[in-house]
Amino acid sequence: MPSETKRSSKKDVVTMIGLDFGSTTSSAMIAHARVGLNSTTGRMFFGYLDIIYRSEQVFTPFDNDRIDESVLRDHLDCWLRESGVRTEELFSGGAIITGLATEKNNVDCIKALVKERVGEAIIATASDPCLESWLAFMGSCGGLSRSKSERPILNFDIGGGTTNPALGLDGNVLATGCYYIGARHFQFAPGTYRLIAISDYGRILMNYLGIFRDIGDCLSNAERDAILDFYVEMLEAIACGNGNFIEDRAARAHTQVPLNIENPADLPVITFSGGVGELLYRYAQGQDLPETTHFGDLGIDLAMWIMKSRLLSSGLSEMVPENMGRATVYGLAIHSTEISGSTLFFPQHQVFPLKDLPIVGRMPVDAKDTRVRQLLALIAKSSCGGAIQITSDNEDHQEGLLRGPQVERLERVKALGHKIRDGIRAEHLSHDTPLVLIVPRNYGKSLGNYATDWRKISTKLIVVDEILDRNAQFVNIGRMHNNIVPVSFYGVQ
Amino acid sequence: MKKIKPLSDIHVPSPGPDEVYVTTLLDRQFDFKGLKKLLGAADISKAGDRTTELAAEDEMAREAARSILSDLTLQHLYDTPLTDDRGRIDSVMRAGYEIDLDMFTQIAGMTVGELKDQLLASGGAEIERIGKALTPVMASALAKIMDIHELVFIPRKIAKPTRARTLIGLPGCLSFRLQPNHPKDDLDAISLMVYTDLSLGMGDCLIGVNPSEGSVDNVSRILHHLDKLRRETGAPSQICVLGHVKTQLTALHQGAPVEILFQSFAGTESTLTEEFDVTVEFMDHAYTTMAERGPLAAVADQFMYFETGQGSEMTYRKNNGIDMTTCEALCYGLCRRYDPFMVNNATGFIGPETHLNDFELMVSTLQDHFMGKILGLPMGISPSYTLHSESHLEGQQMAVQLATAAGASFFMDVYLGTDRMLAHFVNSGHDDQTMREIYGRNPAPEFLRWAVERGIFEQSPDGKVTRGPHWGDPRQFIGSDSEFQRLRESLPAAPGFENAGPRPVNAVQRILRANQAVGREAVHSDLRISELTSFDFRILTTTANSKADHLRNPELGSKLSKEAAASLSVEHCDVQIIVTDGLSAEAVHHNVSELLPLLQDGLASRNYSMGQPILVPYGRVKLVEAIGEILKPQLLILLVGERPGGDALASRSLSAYLAIRLADSSSLKDAVHYSGNASIRYEYTLITNIYAGGLPAVEAGSVVAEKAMDILKHQAAGNRLEDILSRVEEIAAPD
Repeated sequence: MPSETKRSSKKDVVTMIGLDFGSTTSSAMIAHARVGLNSTTGRMFFGYLDIIYRSEQVFTPFDNDRIDESVLRDHLDCWLRESGVRTEELFSGGAIITGLATEKNNVDCIKALVKERVGEAIIATASDPCLESWLAFMGSCGGLSRSKSERPILNFDIGGGTTNPALGLDGNVLATGCYYIGARHFQFAPGTYRLIAISDYGRILMNYLGIFRDIGDCLSNAERDAILDFYVEMLEAIACGNGNFIEDRAARAHTQVPLNIENPADLPVITFSGGVGELLYRYAQGQDLPETTHFGDLGIDLAMWIMKSRLLSSGLSEMVPENMGRATVYGLAIHSTEISGSTLFFPQHQVFPLKDLPIVGRMPVDAKDTRVRQLLALIAKSSCGGAIQITSDNEDHQEGLLRGPQVERLERVKALGHKIRDGIRAEHLSHDTPLVLIVPRNYGKSLGNYATDWRKISTKLIVVDEILDRNAQFVNIGRMHNNIVPVSFYGVQ
Repeated sequence: MKKIKPLSDIHVPSPGPDEVYVTTLLDRQFDFKGLKKLLGAADISKAGDRTTELAAEDEMAREAARSILSDLTLQHLYDTPLTDDRGRIDSVMRAGYEIDLDMFTQIAGMTVGELKDQLLASGGAEIERIGKALTPVMASALAKIMDIHELVFIPRKIAKPTRARTLIGLPGCLSFRLQPNHPKDDLDAISLMVYTDLSLGMGDCLIGVNPSEGSVDNVSRILHHLDKLRRETGAPSQICVLGHVKTQLTALHQGAPVEILFQSFAGTESTLTEEFDVTVEFMDHAYTTMAERGPLAAVADQFMYFETGQGSEMTYRKNNGIDMTTCEALCYGLCRRYDPFMVNNATGFIGPETHLNDFELMVSTLQDHFMGKILGLPMGISPSYTLHSESHLEGQQMAVQLATAAGASFFMDVYLGTDRMLAHFVNSGHDDQTMREIYGRNPAPEFLRWAVERGIFEQSPDGKVTRGPHWGDPRQFIGSDSEFQRLRESLPAAPGFENAGPRPVNAVQRILRANQAVGREAVHSDLRISELTSFDFRILTTTANSKADHLRNPELGSKLSKEAAASLSVEHCDVQIIVTDGLSAEAVHHNVSELLPLLQDGLASRNYSMGQPILVPYGRVKLVEAIGEILKPQLLILLVGERPGGDALASRSLSAYLAIRLADSSSLKDAVHYSGNASIRYEYTLITNIYAGGLPAVEAGSVVAEKAMDILKHQAAGNRLEDILSRVEEIAAPD
């Protein structure tokens, strides 16, 4: 006799893609993962990860203030061709545009090209600095942080245009930030310090430091050192939570999103990712670096300067993160998507995918009627529908030798279902308006059944369960694969 | 390569009528009709033989039988082959008669008792020579008249080295098969278990996985993964995935590295062919294929691996009136035909229906080891226990100590002793290292060299082997802390990697034992009916009168008691819900209060008529049909506790069996056509793992209710229903 929960086959294997378009380089990564149930958490999770394709890192094709669309198209085609993966095989993925790439006039062409070439599997396309910090941490230190669960880790993802710090503990990101510290604010003729490009933030810094150079000029060693000293001091100040330095005018100008460390007294282990991070670890492991400005920027110098900082470099040998230069793209491929439970509630399969749904609000399982009505009223007025996130209760701290996952109680699920049912009727929610409930534990089908009187109420209600509470503005839900759907958030707050 | 002798060339005497064996002890006379009865009565009393009424009724009867057996000549045993239920010599019995007839003529006149005395006085070489002249029944007869010391003393004098990539079974060596099973065949979890147990110095015998899903694709997938692990670690060993022999051969033909070919054997042809789906002729073909095409054909002297264990014939009721020990000996006669690399005896695995307690487990373990060794096999032993038996870790460990003293060639090594896939408990790598240290045994020589190079072991100039600096550290095989962490997360049942000497630290042991304690409580506790009164159950009884009966004999819980059956009559409801404890009363108590109201809400929403729900203590799955035939509902939903394994939470796991009764269904014709079974009466859909760590009750209620609606709507269950639903989805899906 067939078992509903034991069917396991190739169908459980999904393919995921990550695409990273940064200030300096762009790259792609494709992974296979097996979707299964974790018997400790009781949640669906990705297991047996297998990176099946890593592209070469290519320079992001800029043409002055624009992105060179035709070169970018060639790159995308090349990556897909080399990987041997067909678009329709992709389960989920993410693409991120970061740093200086976001400032180009035709930045939207990246999104359009990605959609054209990779299709609907891409459910996270974002230029969200905090998301980037989060992805870099997860791609670089997620496993490391869980293995050293007592040690806070501060990861600096240093690329061409930005530095994205993220503080994490036991695999969870606690705080993120974004600063305009990067290798490519000053670009040089390779092998020299003759300036060929200066970013807006580079000019602010030169003004602040009293350096009066322009394109075609050569930076003196003293001027270069002053720039690098500023960057390193700022990184140290971020790591120490030194508000005084950050309040400095130039530092403020270099801050997009400040990293707020709650308890600066507990110095975390510092790790690095991104292009500069990769150089740092190569050097720390005794490998030679290319000659200075070999890449036409300050990346190599910045790595050397960080090595000289005791504060920043003390953790280099203690913890070596994975993926370093490819942390973000790895994070995108593996961590940009969450997977639902396998017992969803939906009217019919064709409702998926659902794109760019606004999350109109969050409420607990035992929300009052008025709150339920208020959120349903917002969705009723939205032309594209919307989502409501059911928040997690604080996990009861369990003592003792054996512990298990917490489960929701029927009484509460039934009560919430009935409140939603009454709200749908009261707010005259249209049959065609998608109403998505995102719930943190495994009770999606039951909540949906009580909210629709066991499907007697005609409504486009979808309940996606086992998705942990994320305070975000929008959600994307991908196509169904073997009874699960990929879910990603953007506009994370 | 051994030349396989055609079965038709093996002479077996024609069977005659059953002889009546008679003797007296003081004023009490004993008679046993036929050799089968005599052999059964001569053994210690075991659960399986009690069920088939072969065990002696008391100690005097047993000794009377032993006394008669001791005085029978080997020629008499030779001349009295045991027949199947149709009076035939089956192929398994015939295979056992392939003996050294020249040697046999020298000993044929000896009685079984005299032979035992001779063996006790002989050296190893002489014992091995005599063993080649023995049929399996002779080995069984010997085992039944030997005490524990003798069962240890004789086989320890025999060595049976076999060679694949490693040479196992040398005197002074003790080898181990890694058994990194996983309930979902998760390759990451398998990797971590392999790394961990290799770091404990285990795996010199085999790295072998019992797959949870037996398709060719899956067997090949695991084989290729094990091959990768073997190459990456450099561990000298061989690999195997213990799928069906036909599956493995298909995988071999498709290029999978089937280095060692596995099959389970039984001691009667009807069990072998009807339940294990192989014939002796097919095994002959499999052996030849491996000899010609196996990846180790050029280096291995042996390449077959068989698993056996007392009781499988009895549980299928295909034992032909032969006791469990003798059936096991007959298995060994068949194993001997293929000169195997290893034979593993898994006594205790089935449960209390074959071996009730520690005593039965220990004696059977030693009997099987003795019989295998005397018949010339490379015997390994994996005494194991389940939580629904009355065997415990302590009894299992005593059996292992005795089997090590008796000279077993190898043992199993299951990660921390808990096989979550097969829900039983066996040796761990820590147990195995403890045995090596207590009894001064070493790994196979090739493996030892590798382990010394890695610092897993150290060897002094005088050859003494001790644990090395990297013993017990799986991290040595893993590239980074992150990767180690990732693998750990794939194996949630990993309470720790710290060791104290050759043992896991106390903190780890406490977690393992606590998990078992919760599981055992779940099995052995009774339903607390007073806590379930809110459901207005009608309480019925089965023919199992007690928990002990229920656990020992699955058939008792499959039938309603006469009183219960008489209290019911035809109701013709749409749905009848039945709740029973099965093998976990706690599964009922931890799930029903949430699941049942939800399920009833769902069914009520479609206005289905529902019979008053039924609660039955001591029930099994087959009960559903017993009730179905009386009440005649369209659909029966049985909620039953699953067999607990080594995970505390999963010990509270419930299954839902949804059985559509086809007799009155419009789809009976379709079901007959689909199944090819003209007498099909029920189709089933099964929803398992209903517990907090799997499908929680608060969601399971909806899942079961929706599936019930599908079944009633389409008048189909099981695969036929899933096919119908797929077609419906295809029609609904846009182009």
